[in-house]
Order: sequence, then structure tokens, then C-alpha cells
Amino acid sequence: MSFRYAYNQLVYYEAGEDVASSIERVARFGYDAIELAGEPDLIDATEVRGRTTSAGISVSSVCSLYTAERDLAHPDNTVRRNAVEYVKRVADFAAEVGAPTIVIAPTACMKLRPLASPADEHRWAIDGIRAGGEYAASVGVDLTLECWNRYETYWLNTLEQGVAMWREAGLSNGGVMADAFHMNIEEASIADAIRETGPLINHVHLADSNRASPGTGHIDFKPILEALVDIGYKGYISFELLPATADPIESIPAPDQEKFFDPYTEQAITYMRALEHDLRALGEVAR
Amino acid sequence: MLNVPIGASTYLWAFPFGDARLDLAAHVAYLGFDVLEIAIDDPALVTSEAVKTAIRDAGLAVSVCGSFDDQRDVSHEDREMRRKGIDYLRTCIDIAEAVGSPHVAGPMYSAEGKARLLSEQARGQQWSWAVESLRHAADYAVERGIRLAIEPLNRFETDFLNTVEAGLCLCDRIDRANVGLLLDTFHMNIEEKSVGDAIRRCGDRVFHFHACENDRGTPGTGEVAWHAVFPALVDIGYAGQVVIESFTPESAELADGARMWRPLAGSSDELAIEGLAFLREHLGSK
Repeated sequence: MSFRYAYNQLVYYEAGEDVASSIERVARFGYDAIELAGEPDLIDATEVRGRTTSAGISVSSVCSLYTAERDLAHPDNTVRRNAVEYVKRVADFAAEVGAPTIVIAPTACMKLRPLASPADEHRWAIDGIRAGGEYAASVGVDLTLECWNRYETYWLNTLEQGVAMWREAGLSNGGVMADAFHMNIEEASIADAIRETGPLINHVHLADSNRASPGTGHIDFKPILEALVDIGYKGYISFELLPATADPIESIPAPDQEKFFDPYTEQAITYMRALEHDLRALGEVAR
Repeated sequence: MLNVPIGASTYLWAFPFGDARLDLAAHVAYLGFDVLEIAIDDPALVTSEAVKTAIRDAGLAVSVCGSFDDQRDVSHEDREMRRKGIDYLRTCIDIAEAVGSPHVAGPMYSAEGKARLLSEQARGQQWSWAVESLRHAADYAVERGIRLAIEPLNRFETDFLNTVEAGLCLCDRIDRANVGLLLDTFHMNIEEKSVGDAIRRCGDRVFHFHACENDRGTPGTGEVAWHAVFPALVDIGYAGQVVIESFTPESAELADGARMWRPLAGSSDELAIEGLAFLREHLGSK
């Protein structure tokens, strides 16, 4: 048994590429799936279903985009309601394209200051995650709670914090995300954090230390894959690669944007499959 | 063993730093450090004579580090703003000379937190202003025997200078012998392909060094590739100071600016003591 790999559409999408071309590229380089950007009103689910089916790939997940207008913990009730509606729309979209899980976060990405008291924000976030999660369950979709590094949120930075919030939400459909780029900034040990979180990890984002393709930075992915094997991880490994800018969901172009299309799409899966192969071969020998 | 002096930044305990916190000289000496790095948050709070006396009495060496807010921006499009940025650097250089710091260090090319996506043309213009301004500052500094140690920051803190490669390019453009880089392992952990290679590539242009963990917690407890950092410093024959920089959670403004949302050690003293023990083990001396 080996891992299933996905590439996150986000970097293509922000550069203005149509979803058909993105699906074609991901399939061409041998991926099992594509992770879609969470814009259900702008990406056509029927087209995605048709094109992924004919390309022979799946949709691993939907990477929701929590902009300021989609803030589950906003003091304005209208914004919170809008955020919950967004989660529901993304869940419907995921169900339509056959994606098992969608990303959720307690507040907006790049929001670096609370807008209300911690107690209020916390309560609103939990309420919103529950409401979104219960709806998602009704359409057969899971949630993946994501922690971001300190420059993207003041709230959930470590897996430990994510696990605490997930447990409090008390949902049974989903878990938390392990994202190597964020973890390289926030965790004392990426592999240990994965092991400690164990079966609660239901989605994985891999990028190197510089957020580009594995192999272009200095993260040692061997202990990370070992930890994922040890916890019996069965989900997708999705490459979320983004250019070196401060805001991950602002539109590019960055100077090196071209590399994130064919070159990194190919390099990421080639690099990780080779590493996984070596690791599993060694495992056989050891047994 | 390099046997280089090891220091701690005033940011571990105080913000803004000033004469009122010169108790930190005796404190870091007591903890076993060789160097106190003072952050010039507000020059009006710092009297060079008082600093010099406190440092001497504590038996320490000193490092001067600048702090670059939007009123101290040497690559600003407005000439007057650039002038204010250069004036601030001159003040830091004067303080460095008066207190005995070998350098003025920090991300002196721009105001911190400017992380926009600029067009290539706008970026080129900003670089030209930085080069012109920092050349003025370098010429002022060289007459006073002071070096400038320019610090690349990670992508979330600046769009101007993220890597050692870009830093060396900036040094080449400024083209002054007293201009080099301050390398910080926290930023390098995000931006460099290989932290060791980056240090080696910088070579004798490493003028100053910050030893920080990947989460800005206690050095030696996290993901920074220390096994690559120490041999690289040996390879380049580094003889400067190595300073621990983290930020006290007791100042909301400082913690907010550094995006430190949770305590990363039991206390700043604990971070300093355990970080120092780790660095001594690998860098030696005392």
C-alpha cells in the first residue's frame, strides 16, 4: 500500500488558470487527485466531475479560503452567518465533486488581531465549526481543521492547539491538518507532532521549508513520512506550494510563479514517491 | 570550538529598551552571557554614557541593533522619509561608536512589515534608494570604525530582502567594505535551501549572527538545523558575536509585532539560560 498524492489547485487558480488545464496537468504528472480551491461559485462542479472522471483522477479535498468576509469568529453576526453559509456551500461543492473533506479554520487567514474578546471569539468559532460540520456530515463530507503559522493567524499555530479545538467542537466527521510548511515554523518537531496527533490527522499538506516543491528547501521528509506510516495515515498527501509572498491568498504574479506549474508539479510527486519507495523498501528489509 | 562571545538581546526582557532597563547588563552577565545586544527602539531613551558604564561594570561586550518602523525607512519613495531613515541610522552609528559596539545591525533597508508584491520596476527603484541611502550610512560609519550588518527577514516580514543570496547582492551594490550581513537562523529556517551552505556562501560577509530556534523558543529545542549551523560557522572562521534574540510576551506591542502569540518558554530567563547552555556546548568558551 502506498500514499495517494494530490496537488493543490490554489497556486494555479490564483494565477488565473482555468480548472480544466489544472486537472489536465495534475493527471499528466501521475497524481491520484487534485485539491480544489474553495470557490464554489467560481469553479463549476459539473465540469470538474466530468474532467476528473475522464482524466482518471479524484478530488482529494477542497481548500476553503477564509477571507475577511468568511470569518466564523467575527463580532458581526452577519459576517458569521455568511461564513457558515460559505462552509455549507463548500461542503455541497465537495459532495458534488466527490471530495471526502474540506478545510475549516476558526477565523480569517491573515487576520492578526482579534476583533472581540477571546471568550466570544472562541464561542463563535466553535458554534460555526459545529454548524458547518453538522451540515457537512449530512452531505457525507468531513472537515479538516487547519493550523497556520504565526504570520497568517494569531489563533491556531500548532497541532496541539488544533486538536484541543477539534475535540471541543466534538464532531465525529473529520480531524486536523498537518502542514509541513507551517509546522516548520511552529513545531518543536514536525514528526513528533504528527505522532502525537495520530489518528486525528485526516489531511496532509506538504511543502518544503520555503513553501516550494519538496527538494527545494531543507525539510527532511523522511521522518515525516515515517511518522505518517506509523500512525497508519490513510488520507491524501497534498502539495500546497505557494510563492514567497506574505499573503498566501492574495493574487500573484510572483517573479518565480512559472515554476509552480509544470516544474514543481512534476518535482513534488517525483521526489516524494522516490522517498516513499526507499522508505517502504527499507521497511521490508527490516522485517 | 569557535569560542566566540555569546549574547542576549534586550528584547527578551524589555520594550522599549532604554537607560531605565540597564539593569539588564548585570542580569545577562549574571546569567553567564558575554554580550548584551541593545535594541535602539527610541534613541531618546538611550544615553550612551550610561550604557557604556553599565556594560563596563558588568564586564560585557555590547551589540547595537536598530529597529525600523515606518518613520525610519531608507528606501521610502519620499526623499524626506529616506532622510529620516538615514538620520536614525547615523544616531545608531553614533551610539555604537560611543558604547563600543563593532556594528549597527538589523533590517535597515526598509521599514519592517512592508510585504507587498511590487512590480519589478517598483522593486528596482526601492533597491536603488536603499543602496544610495545605505552607502551614505556606510560612509558615515566607516569614519567611526563601525560596520553595518544588514539582516534579511523572512517573506512575512519584508518583501525587500529574504535570502543570503539577495543580501550579498545588496552588499555588492552598496560596495563598501564595512557592509555585510546579520544572519538569523529563525529567518534562514524559512528562506534558505540549506542553512549551512548559506552561511558558507556569505563567508567573511557574516558580520553578526542571531541564534534563534524555528519558533523563537529556546535554541536547541526545535527544528533549526544546528548540526549544519555550527560547522558552517567554523568553516568560515566566524569570529563575531552570536546573540539569542526572542521577544518578551510581557510587552503586548512587541509580541504582536513579532507575531508571538503564545509563550515559547517557561520564562525569558529560562529561554536565555537553557539557550546559552546549548550554545556554549557547541561554541565553547567561558
